[in-house]
Order: sequence, then structure tokens, then C-alpha cells
Amino acid sequence: MTNDYSIIGKSIAMVDAAGKTTGSGKYADDLSLPGMLYGKILHSPHPHARIKSIDTSRAERLDGVIAVVTGKDAPNPFGILPVGHDEHALALDKVRYVGDNVACVAAVSETIAEKALELIDVDYEHLPASFDPEESMKAETNLIHDNKPNNMEKDYHHVFGDPDKAFAEADYIAEGRFLANEVTHAAMEPHCTLAAFELDPHTGTLGRLTVWSSTQVPYYLQHKLSLVLEMPMSQIRVIKPLVGGGFGGKSEVIPIEIIAAVAARAAQRPVKITYTREEVFWAHRGRPRTIVDLKTAVKNDGSITAVKARVVQDGGAYCSYGVVTILYSGALLGALYDIPNIQYDGYRVLTNKPACGAMRGHGTVNVRFAFESQLDEIAAKLKMDPAEIRRRNLLKPPCITINGLRVQSYGLPECIDQVVTRSRWNERKGKLPRGRGLGVACSHYVSGAANSIIRSDMPHSTVNIKIDRDGGVVIYTGASDIGQGSDTMVAQVAAETLGCALSRVKVVAADTDLTPIDIGSYSSRVTFMNGNATLRAAQQVKKQIAAAAAKKMNCAPEDIVFKNDRLERQGLCGDGRLARPGGAELRSESATVSGRVEGQILRGSLQQKRKDEGPKDSITFEEAVVAAIDFHGALSGTGSYTPPPEARGGKHKGAGVGPSPAYSYSAQVAEVSVDEDTGEVTVHKVWAAHDCGRALNPVSVEGQVIGSVWMGMGQALTEEMIWKDGLLMNPGLLEYRSPSSVDSPEVEAIIVESIDPEGPFGAKEASEGSLAATIPAIANAIYDAVGIRLHESPFTPERVLAALRAKRNAKPLNLTQGVDPTAPAKFREHGGELCFKGKGPERHEFDPARREAQLGGAD
Amino acid sequence: MSLPAFKLLRPRTTAEAVALLAQHAGNIRILAGGTDLLPSMQQKLFAPEYVLDIRRVRELSGIRPQPHGGVELGALTPLTDIEHSDVLRQHYPVLPEAAKTVASPVLRNMGTIGGNICLDTRCLWYNQSLQWRKSCAFCIKKDGDLCHVAPGGTRCWAAFSGDTPAALLCLDAEIEIASTSGLRCVKLADFYTGIGDDYRRLRPDELLTRVFLPASSAGYRGAYRKLRIRGSIDYPLAGVAVALKRSNGHIEDVRVGLTAVNPAPALVSGVTQLLAGRRMTEERAEAAGVLAAQTAKPLTTSALTPEYRREMIRVFTKQAIVSLATERKLG
Ligand SMILES: Cc1cc2nc3c(=O)[nH]c(=O)nc-3n(C[C@H](O)[C@H](O)[C@H](O)COP(=O)(O)OP(=O)(O)OC[C@H]3O[C@@H](n4cnc5c(N)ncnc54)[C@H](O)[C@@H]3O)c2cc1C
Repeated sequence: MTNDYSIIGKSIAMVDAAGKTTGSGKYADDLSLPGMLYGKILHSPHPHARIKSIDTSRAERLDGVIAVVTGKDAPNPFGILPVGHDEHALALDKVRYVGDNVACVAAVSETIAEKALELIDVDYEHLPASFDPEESMKAETNLIHDNKPNNMEKDYHHVFGDPDKAFAEADYIAEGRFLANEVTHAAMEPHCTLAAFELDPHTGTLGRLTVWSSTQVPYYLQHKLSLVLEMPMSQIRVIKPLVGGGFGGKSEVIPIEIIAAVAARAAQRPVKITYTREEVFWAHRGRPRTIVDLKTAVKNDGSITAVKARVVQDGGAYCSYGVVTILYSGALLGALYDIPNIQYDGYRVLTNKPACGAMRGHGTVNVRFAFESQLDEIAAKLKMDPAEIRRRNLLKPPCITINGLRVQSYGLPECIDQVVTRSRWNERKGKLPRGRGLGVACSHYVSGAANSIIRSDMPHSTVNIKIDRDGGVVIYTGASDIGQGSDTMVAQVAAETLGCALSRVKVVAADTDLTPIDIGSYSSRVTFMNGNATLRAAQQVKKQIAAAAAKKMNCAPEDIVFKNDRLERQGLCGDGRLARPGGAELRSESATVSGRVEGQILRGSLQQKRKDEGPKDSITFEEAVVAAIDFHGALSGTGSYTPPPEARGGKHKGAGVGPSPAYSYSAQVAEVSVDEDTGEVTVHKVWAAHDCGRALNPVSVEGQVIGSVWMGMGQALTEEMIWKDGLLMNPGLLEYRSPSSVDSPEVEAIIVESIDPEGPFGAKEASEGSLAATIPAIANAIYDAVGIRLHESPFTPERVLAALRAKRNAKPLNLTQGVDPTAPAKFREHGGELCFKGKGPERHEFDPARREAQLGGAD
Repeated sequence: MSLPAFKLLRPRTTAEAVALLAQHAGNIRILAGGTDLLPSMQQKLFAPEYVLDIRRVRELSGIRPQPHGGVELGALTPLTDIEHSDVLRQHYPVLPEAAKTVASPVLRNMGTIGGNICLDTRCLWYNQSLQWRKSCAFCIKKDGDLCHVAPGGTRCWAAFSGDTPAALLCLDAEIEIASTSGLRCVKLADFYTGIGDDYRRLRPDELLTRVFLPASSAGYRGAYRKLRIRGSIDYPLAGVAVALKRSNGHIEDVRVGLTAVNPAPALVSGVTQLLAGRRMTEERAEAAGVLAAQTAKPLTTSALTPEYRREMIRVFTKQAIVSLATERKLG
């Protein structure tokens, strides 16, 4: 399809690329202020314990320590969801996971702050802890939060249609349990916050607060800071510098962000805290370990008649986004295929581990793994091609699904066609040499939530544009660029709408003093919502410019075309095409005009020029801007976006999560090989087709699709958080294994454009939807290669080999029993009792027992 | 995590280096490439008062073929040089094969052969931050009295996880150790103790200076198979080095070295007896694999289960022997 756009639809470099690639770009940790202190946080060594007392006096006496703060310094609770205000900046009375935040030291150096942590004496009373969600659900005493019986954060039970009847009438029913282990974002940049108070000029006491933070959600941060610090929001300014990746891990208020401010208040000096990688793992908010019991009913023709899913999520110790996650897991059973009957039982369970939250593909990924794997099993059972069974269950948009989701643009059929064709599926599927296979899977995702987490009527995005006599277009947007390219997207949308050069556009983003509210970079909402707000703001300014220019050009405003940094009268060519100033003549004229007027044109001289030259067919963007400012006094526009009521979903409890103004679609084919001796899986190639509505910046869309596939592959094959009684065994990037470049398959990203009726220029989301398809595509390819069905991710070589052995009835590979040359005959999971009772070692110099002995000697 | 403060000493000769070691023995750590030492210091596994940076000692670097056969490697030779050395690839291929799997290209530029030989043993309960180790009340290797891997045990099972020593064992390598009292040479096989928290026979005042590959080990074909989850960066979860010599279509000698499955790298005994002088068969290779697996005693010191890691020792040994015994081209 050809189009007449000059800026969008072109692959262009990100507007902030130079700073990032040369190292001159500033991330939060690159910032420093005069007198700045370094903050270090003391974390709990126990998974569940009551704090009997904290004594910070020894730490305070250490030279170079300026302040030590504890829970009492900021006792107000907060949490990202209004229903989940269960966190404190620092623990008040209880710690709930190994790594929970207990105290913070602000000191003149990192080393001194670390030393001071060792001088804080905390007296804990140990409490029995819960680590397994299915056990945790049964707990009646020693609850993690007193107001959550059975450690149940939230459970939902939805029935749409008549699933029981459908199951009774089914030709075939597939049933199985799937388990997806816990994964985390592993963004390159660890969280960092710098907080500084200004002195009030009148009282000399602490006044306004400025916080620079690695966040996806500056406005939520401003809001929570105001709650915890008991300051009006207007006194708090949050600035987001460059962010080195978020993936959801920075999409809520992380304790570090509040702690830095609390410490700065106590120290009366700026405080910066940067997490170590281990602390990033404790802050977590990743994808919960999920148990999916899934049942699907089909007819012999492959049509799905009902789905029942019971989903248990191991949510960790705090609510975080948990209520939303468990709802997405159910809601997004809909809107991909046409499923007339759905039953969903979702349980979000609290355990004594770091809180899980939102992670790329929030809520949908693990259930999609189960669903697409089971669909593959069904296809095999019905002897139907796996791509074909997916085609037989397509939606017929525009429509509203049984669970209330409105679907308009729907590129899924084309996505499937694309990957089938490009992978030569029909010729190769099932015909590859032994040990090599192809698998297909699909997925989808929201382009932003139609209902915001804070219930209000405020627009989800607002954008201001200011244009001045210098010809510069400044966009003030609250959108948080976290590396995904929203600054570039906003600049492109504005430049396209105004027909001006991209180089004129400057983006001021994510600074709560300067930019109007945008609720943040999460749920893939930014292009759709902030893009629409930008579009509307630009259209508003454009109208003003057109009105002024029309006078100058002696035509109706509607007849003016904005393009290539010029305004032209439409229809001059007479051939139906838009007029375009051709030839050197016009061009040289425009050069002299702009040369003369640039930046400093005066009303008088312009009027003189107008008289000299009379009405024009074509003027430069700058001339038009000057005319408009002369005419209107100033040139600015505002646009905002609120999702339409029709897109906001049904009325049932929990109906607020899932609805979106538009859904992206993805289909993928993965080609893998499996080493039957070792169980090692190699992914050779992934064909990933993604319907993003319209690709505003194709190279950026491809990057997002490739990144999603890669991240999905990590979850499929190598990434897994390993726990022993609440202790994270792999809190670092050496042992938590995200794929390296060596492990990268070739990814063929295929862009499908379904042109959404409501998206900006038809665009939808591009950055999350692809991830969920990768895991089942790989699982299904493994099945094709060696005939084993893997129900637990990641598909590590030992799990694959164990499954291969089981299939062959060969010597089983026992995954829990080990060889132990000392007494115990069996490997057992590390017994928490053994260590947490603390009868261990007294040898470390920091060990309290030993310290007392030393002190005793000194006295 | 900050690096604990220390005084940096930078000698230019071996003599200066060993003098400094003697002077500060017990309170000093040797830094070669630093790729193992520095992360461990950040985790507060070591907090020495002095760090002896030996990178200026020129004489400790280089790959030198000897006049009467054999090759001498300076302890400071970077793994990248070993990986790409023509002499080694031609005569001692098992060593570059193992070296090229260490960590990642960047780490191989910094990491040295001496550091790889002296590499600290590793365990999930040990290679963690101070804060983390407190949460499990420390472990027997460092600051504690408990082993979490063999609960109730009083011995440390931290696994030796360097890649090249498995290959060096196959080559019957010797090492030279210097101190103020002179030089001593030991077989690499005798350097390791098999005890996780006291894994090498190196006094605090001693410096590893050179590695010798004997002429008698030249010309063995070599292969190294490494179990890891990612194709790069990861330490071995199990490693098998095989050096094999053929003559007249028969196997003359086979040596199998293992790493990452015991507190010391180990040679598998009995493989030569099993295979020497015979034609290669599937069963014989399988039997060698079983022997190797019996030598491996992996525990839960790393990712993946011990059962699986031991199984891979068997599979890798068999695969490596079969491929070396049957491949056409020498080297
Ligand atoms: C991310 C990562 C991945 C890694 N993966 C691997 C891997 O896959 N395989 C592997 O084998 N290693 C791996 N390593 C460890 C390390 O990079 C290599 O083992 C390297 O060869 C160590 O050499 P070095 O010179 O850097 O040692 P250093 O860190 O300088 O020293 C290591 C130890 O040896 C001592 N030492 C060094 N030289 C001498 C000497 N001449 N005399 C006496 N004592 C000495 C030091 O005091 C220290 O205790 C990895 C490291 C990292 C950080």
C-alpha cells in the first residue's frame, strides 16, 4: 500500500540515539549534585520475621554518616494499585521476604554507607514462612498480611457463556497442567533515584522536592511520594532522565524511589541510591511462577467451544500489580480466537518472596504458553495442521468477545499467512530430519488499558505543543521514553501532522513540572494514547497556522496542504494530486525568504513583503508560523486522549482489566533442533509476524519484535529464578541466564499493518504482544522435532532429557535426587530451619555474636 | 557493591613479587587478570590489606616452545593468546579447545592461564554478596560452620570450575612455583587437594610462575566438551577434556580430564587400559563414559541437578572419544 506520508512509516534513528551510543546521554546514576550523599539500604536476611527493635545509634556515630532512617520516618503505606497499599518505604513492624527493606544510611561515600549498614542492630522474631503458593493458600496463621486470610491477595471466578454445556457436547477435551517458572526483567540499567529538597526561601526549612528517577511512571511516583511524605503533589517534581530499559520493572513505585526522598529529608542533603544487581532482583516485580490447569473443548472440525482455566500465581509478599496480573490472565483468554464459553478461576497468592508485578506481556504470557501448547496437542489429536486449527478459530471483527472485549482491527489471519509462507511451513512441517522441528503459535496484547488503575475521568494522556517565532516546535509530553522510542514516536507524529521537518521538533518529556499528565509507559499504551494526544495537539496548532496562512495565501484554510516544511495551496497541479513546488525557481525563492526571516522577522518587514509579493501559492513553514503568531498572539495547542466508552469492557467484577481500544496480533513459527543425547535445544530461526496497526517507525517496530522474541526465548529456554526457602539462589546476571548474543537465533520480523480505525495514523502496540507467542512456538517445535510435550518452562536440557527418557521408557533421569558422598543419601532442598534458626557460624567479623565478644573485650 | 579498600603493590620482577608476598603473607592477594578476584572482593569474600598486581612482571607472560621439546607458558599469558596460539593448536589442541570456552571474549582478554589454574572453587552458597551469605548464616567455605550442599557435612564441596585445568591434566602439565625460598615444580595433578575450602597446595607466600607442557604429550588429538546453559559467559556445569593418541588405526593412549563436578579437576583413571591397543567400538566408548561418570561427584553447587551433570559427563566423554578416535584429519 502506498501512502502519502513523509515522516511516519519511514525507518528513522531514535532522536536520543547519539547520546546513548556515545555515552554522553545522562541516566539517573550519571547525575550528581553538590553535597550529594550516597544511600545504602539494609535488607532483611529473613523471609518472615517481626522486627522487635532496631538500634541505629552505632551506625549514626560512624564518621561520614549523615542520617539513618527506618520505617518510623515514613510510616504511610503505598502501593501502585489503590486496592494494594500494603508497602512501606522501610519495614514498620515486619519483614516479609529476604531482601525486604529495613533501614537506609545516607553517608558521604558508598563504602562508609556499606560499613554503617553492618552497625545497625535489628532484633528479629522469626515467623514461619510460606514459599509455595498452593501451600500458602491453606495458611490460617502467621499470615503475611493480617488483612489477607489464607494469604490470598485476590481471587476471581468468571463464567462467560455456558462452559459446562459446551464441555458436555464436546467431541474432544484436552486437559493438562502447565507450569511457568518465575522470570524477571533484567533491564540493563539498575534502578537509581536521586532526591533533593530545596530550602523554602521564607522559612529556611525544607521546601520543594525534586526527584530524578529511573521510572516508567513519573506521575504515579509524584503521587505516591506525596502520600508517603505528606507533601502536596505540587511541591514535588519528578524528572525521568534516560532510562536503560524497564520492561515493567520500573512501571510502579519501587521502594528505592521513596527511600531516597525520605533519606534526603532526614539528611537535609541530596541523596542518591543506585541498586546493586542483587537489589534489582529483590525489587523484582517480574513475572510470577504460574500454575495453569487448562481444559479445552473442541469439535471434530477443530473449532474451540469452551475453555476452562484455573490459574495460580505465586505473587510474592506484596500486592504490586498482582490484582491486575491475575485479571489479565483470564481476560486475555479472549480477543485472540473466537471462544464462545469461558470459565476462569484465578488466584493471586502471597508468599514470602519478592513481589511480582508487571512484566512485558503482563498477565498473558504464561497462560498463552499453556493455551497454545494445548491447542497444538489438540491439533495432533485431531490430525489437523497446527496452523490450520488456528485459522479455524479466528474472530470475525468488528466484534465484542464473550468476555466483553471490543475487537476492531485484526491482523491475525495475515500474520498466520505470513509466517506460514515465509517459513515454508507447508513444505517443511513434519518433514525435517530427525531432531529438527517447526512449531507455530499466536498471541495478542492490549494497546493500553481502556481503564486506568486510578479510577477517574481524567484523560490518560495530554500533550502540549508550543511553536515560536524561531520556527521550533516544542512538544511537552508526559510520555516516558524508557528506550522503546516514545520521544521519537511523538516527534514523528507531530512532524507528520504539521508537515514540518523532523529536525524542528524538540521533545520535552516526563518532567512533572513541565509536561502535562500521562499515566506512564506500561501496558503498551504510549503510541496509541500519547500518540493520539500528540496528533490532536498538533492538529489544533495546525488549524491555527492554517487560519493565518490562508489569509496570506488568499485561500480557504482547508485548501492548504502542510508538507515538506511548506504550506501549499491544494489542487494547483490540476491532476488530482497534491500540489508540490517543483523546479529550482521556487526553491531558491524559499531559501532567500527563509534566510531573511529566520528567527527575527519583524511585523513591519513582513507586511512590507506581503505588499511586495501579494498572495502566494506556497510559503515556508517558518513564514506560516510567524504569520500565525502575528495573527493569534501565540501559538500553542493541547491534545488529550481518553479511551472511548465502547472500549471499556463489561460490567462483571474485574471487568476493568483486559479491555483496550485496540489489540495487537502476532503469529510465529520457530525452527529448533533438539540434541537427544543431552537434551539441549537450539533455536535456529523464528519468523515473527506482528500486526501493529501501522508501523510509524518500521525499524523500531522490528527492534521491538526481535526483542520480544529474544526475551520470550529466554523464558522458554534459560531464564528461571531459583529459590531455596525464600532465598534467591541466582540474584545476578551470571547465574540468572538471559540469552547471550551467541544464543541468538535469526529473527525474521514481519510487519503486518491492519490500520486501526482509532490509532494514531492507524497504529497499535508493537512492544509486548509478540513475546507470548515465542514460548509456545518453541515448545511446539520441540514436539515436532522429538515428540515430547513440555509442560514446564524453561525447557532446560535436563527437563528435555528427562522427558525424552520418559518417552523412550529409558533409564529415568531423576531431577531431584543427587549424589552425595557424605551421610545423607538424598539431595534435599536446603532446609530453611537449619539456617534460619541461626545456630550457625559465629565466625564472621560482622556476626553479631562475635561483635559482642569483641566489644566485651574492649570494655 | 563497593570494592573494599586495599593497598595496591605493583612489582616489576618475580623477585620483587615474591619478596612482597613474603613480607605480607596472609594479608595479601595476587591479582593477575582480576576477573575472578575482583568480583569476589566486591562480594567481600576477600578483604586483603594488600593486592599484588603482577601484570607488570613481563617475564611471566608468553608462550615459549622449548629447545628440547615441550612448551612453556608464562602464568600471565592471557587465555585469548592460548586460544589462538598456532603452536598449541598444532601440538596440544586440547588446551586451546578448552581455553576458547572460558567465559566470553572480553574476559579471555583479561583472564590468564595462571588465574585459571588458581581459580577459586565455586558454589551457589559461596559466590554471593555478604548480605546474601548472612541470610543463610554463611557456609563452611567462608565465615560459617555449615555446608548447605551436603547438609550435616563438615567438608566443603565447592566445585573447581576452571576449564583449562581439565585439559592441562590430560597433557600431564607441570607448574613452577616461586617464593623467597626458591622455585619448586609440581605436577598439576598434585596441586589440587580435593577439599573445597582449601583447594590448592599454594602457600600464602608463593607465586605460580610457569606451566610446562611436556614433549611426551605433544601430538595428542584433543577435544573439550562443556556443559553450560548459554553459549557464552557461563562457567562450566560439567567439563570433559579428552586427549587421544592413535597409531595404526588403534588407540594408543587416552586421557580424560574432568572439571566442575568435584572440588578438584580430576583425571579419570583406567580409560587407557580400557581402550588402548583396541579398535574403537560404541560399547568401549560407552564404558569409558561410565568410568568418567563414576569419577564425577557433582553436588548442588551450581545450576542443573547433579544427576544431570553426571549424566553429561558420561555422554560428553563418550562423544569426545568417538569423535577423536574416528575423525580423519589429525589435530
Ligand atoms: C562472568 C564470568 C564468567 C566466567 N566464566 C568462566 C568460565 O567459563 N570458565 C573458567 O574457567 N573461568 C571463568 N571465569 C573466571 C575467570 O575469568 C577465569 O578463570 C580466568 O582465567 C581467571 O584468570 P585471572 O587472571 O583473571 O584471575 P585472577 O582473578 O587475577 O585470579 C584468580 C585467583 O588466582 C590467584 N592467582 C592468579 N594468578 C596467580 C599466580 N600467578 N600465582 C598464584 N596465584 C594466582 C588470585 O590470587 C586469585 O585467587 C569467569 C569469570 C567471570 C567474571
